[in-house]
Amino acid sequence: MREYFSGRGYLAVDTPVLCPFLIPEPAIEVFQTRYVGPGGQSRDLWLAPSPELWMKRLLGSGSGNIFQVSRSFRNGDFGSPLHNPEFRLLEWYTVESGYLESIGVLEGLFDRLLSAGSSGGWASSRELSPPFDRLTMQEAFERFAGIDLERCQSAESMVSAGRRTGVRMPTECTWEEAFHVVFLTSVEPALPRDRPLVLLDYPALIPTTARRRPGTPWAERWELYVGGVEIANCYTEETDQQALGALLREEQERKKACRVHHRIDSGLATVFPPGFPPVSGTALGVDRLEMVFFGEESLEGVIFFGFSGIVPRQSRTS
Amino acid sequence: MIKASDVAKGTFILINNQPYICVEREYVNPGKGSAFVRLKLKNIKTGSVLRQTNKVQDNLEDVSVEFKEVQYLYADAENFVFMDTKTYEQFSIPIEGEKEKRDYLKDGENYQVVFWEQTPIDIRLPTKMVFTVTEAEKAERGDTVSGATKVVTCETGLKVKVPLFIKTGDRILVNTETGEYQERVNS
Repeated sequence: MREYFSGRGYLAVDTPVLCPFLIPEPAIEVFQTRYVGPGGQSRDLWLAPSPELWMKRLLGSGSGNIFQVSRSFRNGDFGSPLHNPEFRLLEWYTVESGYLESIGVLEGLFDRLLSAGSSGGWASSRELSPPFDRLTMQEAFERFAGIDLERCQSAESMVSAGRRTGVRMPTECTWEEAFHVVFLTSVEPALPRDRPLVLLDYPALIPTTARRRPGTPWAERWELYVGGVEIANCYTEETDQQALGALLREEQERKKACRVHHRIDSGLATVFPPGFPPVSGTALGVDRLEMVFFGEESLEGVIFFGFSGIVPRQSRTS
Repeated sequence: MIKASDVAKGTFILINNQPYICVEREYVNPGKGSAFVRLKLKNIKTGSVLRQTNKVQDNLEDVSVEFKEVQYLYADAENFVFMDTKTYEQFSIPIEGEKEKRDYLKDGENYQVVFWEQTPIDIRLPTKMVFTVTEAEKAERGDTVSGATKVVTCETGLKVKVPLFIKTGDRILVNTETGEYQERVNS
């Protein structure tokens, strides 16, 4: 993995896991810890759920293309075979590039890993070789849910489209919740599993740092699914300071619903100087990638000392 | 009420006044939105399957059920017949809907059965049970590859994949959730 990116001119970087502040990501619960100085002075710190805040600082200061494989931490455990609170994330950023070009970079990585592994014994029975299939979110909703997603731009229209197609919809919810209920009930389970699939052009109504495709309801974002498992997530990054500032203010508001609170990274909105060229960022779950390459159904199959083994459920009560 | 995040395989919930048992549960966090629980539920009365997705903080209506200690007696053409070990009252549960548990039911063995409004709705198996091997092929000389397995049949008709050294008459411990062999039981 490192050879592949270094060979393509990406600079390998290594950024802090212990952070004095984080980006407000309302969908993620984080881990809190504490620095204790020799004189007893102390300071709250948090474990990075991704290296994004530091890598974007490097980009903004002119690093050019960068990558790293980092330990990342996400709190909240629901005993899922696809989540371990501590995991490895490959994150790479390409300057003067959009989200579509990054599909090619990932396909190249798969090619490289598959040829390196042909002697090392990848055990997956799945077809993993590129090119990946591509499907837009609009096409996926039409094909698997019978819903014209482009016409569902309000919570009411999303809820009624879900009901019409037989999905049990919540009585009170936001647009994003209604979208995910339909997506997770009707669309995601039906995605083709025989080959890697890039699901493209997510609704811009899902708040992320992905740039909106001008004049459309879509964000420049894709996710890679292999065998029904989400492996990677990519954006053309929003670099406009006003747009980022508005997003971060909104996320900060929604973050209040989280159980673990943290200091907010106030510098992120202005990390990219005006006129910064397009930049594409991709995050890939390394443990999940290994899982599908080795034909395993659970992260426990590729992680020594997985969380559920070292912290048994009975000992997790408060 | 029960939080969607607390629903597990085997939890009973009420939807539109119909009792359902959760048969599959998956935690999904799309990362950029709320976290969800994807449930596969089976209607206890009709056997029909319902899939639904809930936010982890959603409240669902739980069903108050009663667990009873019972003894398995026998199966007729359509039903498993049990006896309440306290009242000695006999009752039956349709085989249809519980078919996959058939090979784990041993005559005279005690189990737990879940009752809802006086109706037996679910048989709970112990997670591990001991079975006696009634049919096993002899291991061939030369079968020394470690990890090699064969399939044996037990007294209930249960088929289990076991190591080659297991022979007819051996007692083996089996995980009833996965159907996997655990170990040979002495005496």
